Amino acid sequence: MSGDRVTKVLLFISSLTILLLSAGIVISLFGGALPAFREFGFRFITSSAWNPTAGSEEYGAMSFIAGTVITSILALIICIPMAFSTSLFIAEYYKGTRTSGILRSLVDLLAGIPSIVYGFWGFYALRPLLVATGLTDQGFGVFTASLVLAIMIVPYATSLSAEIISMVPAELKEAAYSLGATRREVIFSVVIPSARSGIIASFILALGRALGETMAVTMLIGNANVIPKGLFAPGNTMASVIANQFGEASGLKMSALIAIGLLLFMITALVNYLGKLIIKRFA
Amino acid sequence: MAAMALLLVSCGGGGSTTGKQKQITLSAAGATFPQPFYNLAFKKYNEAGGPLINYGGIGSGGGIKSLRDQIVDFAATDAYLSDAELAEMPGEVVHIPTCIGAVVIAYNLPGVTDLQLTPELLEGIFLGNIKKWNDPKILAANPGLAVPDMEITVVYRSDGSGTTYIFSDYMSKVSPAWKAQLGTGKALNWPAGIGAKGNPGVSGTISQSQGSIGYIGYEYAFAQKIPMAKVMNSAGLFIEPTLESFTAAAAAEMPADTRVMLTNSPNPAAYPITSFTWIIMYKELAYGKHSSEAAEAAVKTVKWLTGEEAQAIATSVHYAALPQNASLQAAELLRGITYQGLTVLR
Amino acid sequence: MYPELNDNINRRNGTNSRFRYLVIAGSVITVIPIFFIVGNLAVKGFRQINLEFFTRPAPDTFQAMMAASSGEVIPGGIANGLTGSLLMVVLASLFAIPLGLMTGIYIYENSSLKYARFIRSLTEILQGVPSIILGIIAYIWIVKNITRGYSALAGSVSLAIMMLPLIIRSTEETMRMIPVSIREAAFALGTPYYKMIYKILIPVSFSGLATGVLLALSRILGETAPLMLTALGSPAISLDVTRPVSAVPLLIWDFYNDPNMVSLVWSASLFLMVFVLSMNLLARSVASKHKYI
Repeated sequence: MSGDRVTKVLLFISSLTILLLSAGIVISLFGGALPAFREFGFRFITSSAWNPTAGSEEYGAMSFIAGTVITSILALIICIPMAFSTSLFIAEYYKGTRTSGILRSLVDLLAGIPSIVYGFWGFYALRPLLVATGLTDQGFGVFTASLVLAIMIVPYATSLSAEIISMVPAELKEAAYSLGATRREVIFSVVIPSARSGIIASFILALGRALGETMAVTMLIGNANVIPKGLFAPGNTMASVIANQFGEASGLKMSALIAIGLLLFMITALVNYLGKLIIKRFA
Repeated sequence: MAAMALLLVSCGGGGSTTGKQKQITLSAAGATFPQPFYNLAFKKYNEAGGPLINYGGIGSGGGIKSLRDQIVDFAATDAYLSDAELAEMPGEVVHIPTCIGAVVIAYNLPGVTDLQLTPELLEGIFLGNIKKWNDPKILAANPGLAVPDMEITVVYRSDGSGTTYIFSDYMSKVSPAWKAQLGTGKALNWPAGIGAKGNPGVSGTISQSQGSIGYIGYEYAFAQKIPMAKVMNSAGLFIEPTLESFTAAAAAEMPADTRVMLTNSPNPAAYPITSFTWIIMYKELAYGKHSSEAAEAAVKTVKWLTGEEAQAIATSVHYAALPQNASLQAAELLRGITYQGLTVLR
Repeated sequence: MYPELNDNINRRNGTNSRFRYLVIAGSVITVIPIFFIVGNLAVKGFRQINLEFFTRPAPDTFQAMMAASSGEVIPGGIANGLTGSLLMVVLASLFAIPLGLMTGIYIYENSSLKYARFIRSLTEILQGVPSIILGIIAYIWIVKNITRGYSALAGSVSLAIMMLPLIIRSTEETMRMIPVSIREAAFALGTPYYKMIYKILIPVSFSGLATGVLLALSRILGETAPLMLTALGSPAISLDVTRPVSAVPLLIWDFYNDPNMVSLVWSASLFLMVFVLSMNLLARSVASKHKYI
């Protein structure tokens, strides 16, 4: 029976590595962020200063927190009607048909495209289109980044929403139909109310993805270390400032970037936790 | 964490034995400004039997950091290390100048190819005080030029950069307002515009965006046929960026450690935003797991880089060759580099 | 007879069909980008894809510049990126697949334990960690302390941490689909625990596990951000895990930053997208063909 013991111990040890790994990530981030927090205290979070000039060094995360939150929320707003109608198409109007299967695969394909390809495509194909509309001079900025982000998170919101919408019991819908309700009325008075928390959770999880997206945003947002002044103004997100500046950072700046990483970690963990919590309630 | 690290090392060790090659491989990282020169020169050197050199163009700031962390054999920077930065290094560092480059003001304006800029205009544009291309101040310096009614978009470096250092060093010398607001540095707190990564990123953004202006290494503007502005130098003359006008800036006296900025040269023929670019390495190369073979290969590579053959390559990619006093100084410094106390070049 | 009722019904039917068109329009708008992206990449990228594209390392700035200024096809390809990606993906898999499988089985086998449920929650948190943060972690752990320099090993560690939660989750979910009757039958015959795992659980759920692994691979193949902080990139083909290596997405980033190499970036993006998508499709076809129950 020693094989049993060995197996059990082996399985337990692997589970332990997950524990160590998670603890290690948090400890390393805290350790790396400590000098920045020690130097600037709570001001690190509220200040939007980002001055790397030697002698007058000062770092604050606010511009990047603002950039991250604004682009992600804007992306979510753009994403909601797209993902909502697509999931209704897949799980309600054309449920079980070939068309629905094809649409589902196409949306899944969107999830398979690497982030850097989105960024590149956004730079060369989407940006000139936006410039042509006359809304923006160069096409860099919050809106362009959010638009690409929205396309990137649509598949995540869609697949989960569709799954939850398709789980709404047919009996409930039939009851409403038998009272003479139209399809739209059934959707709004039966399907959405009973799938509401699941749909909300799917959008929260999609938001979680948007918060941490790096490459596509870095290539489109304009990388200006300020709180964005408008929809078409440049800004910077937490993930993209790390991507841009980590390579040459050292000392206090390095610590400030790790601290931004830690804040990003906490924000995404919180958002994901919220989403999972709502899903668990629903299930 | 330690257990995982151990696990990783053992798993990594298994793979590395098969990948070891007889050829010496050096790793170097730093400035993107001289990268076209280094890439080409290192490649030629490798073809002639020299070591294979992995040069990562991660910016001067990244190069300095990599050298401090002792993760490269040598690094490249366009900004010499300050006394404070030298003191932070774990060992004594030598600066070897490799060529002279210039930072040019590149722009993308439909129909305009002969823009002239004064230090005052540069200050106004890059500080965000001049917002339109048809601003009367720009028209005053460019009589007869058909400047369109367009917003100015400033493009700057989003990463720590020697190019930024050279440009801001010059601007701080000629503009008190700049000196007070932004100062000199590898990364600045820009009041206007958008950031792009590396010299290629900035030149790419400029060439893709009408109405934009930015500062880049000469080679990048030249290669991409982006128009460059003539800049007014200390003698009040508008100077076109050319190899001759760069070399003219190098007449300055050379300190023993070669740490000197050539910007705003008093020579009336000189282009004002000109600088040496340096390779930096430790004076004592026996540190960490650094082997004597790697140390020797590194010193020989840098020596070759300052020699005649490589300097000819430099001019072929539009950097000005080292003046005589600088190359003598470089040779002298290289002779002082040791491995376990013994001179590497014998 | 009841005109106001008819009006009402007409209005409701009208709203109903308008909403339906709205849903269809929204869905069409959602899928337009995919045609746009694939079409764009295919048209602009295919020209540069030939044998040389796969067998030669990336050109340097100068070569690309000369070719671009004389209007020739840019020499070179993505061979250094291919080998680097392969090296890091294999290393990451060596680390993440066994560990992920075992942890997944552990969570499934002990799902009544509070500890196992805690590990599962940790896995969920890990899955949500932005990839750039894993780059920072691998930088602190490996680049700074172990290889003392950018390295393929550091890149693989960041990728491995990314794969782990995906594999753990898919393993656990696959195991859950195995009918309890199979396990009961095995136990009734006196099969030892470890044999039950190696000879029954794993083989029976093989296609499910393979799907999980393939999806995890397709996810990490396109990752760029963590590799910028760890593997750095290298112009030459290198298989030394303690040295910097390139990867296909890193090459795309380099090409993108160098305007002379624009035509290469279309091709490299096209290649990466087709590769990742076919991996994705393969995973899905494995999943649908061999669905266990």
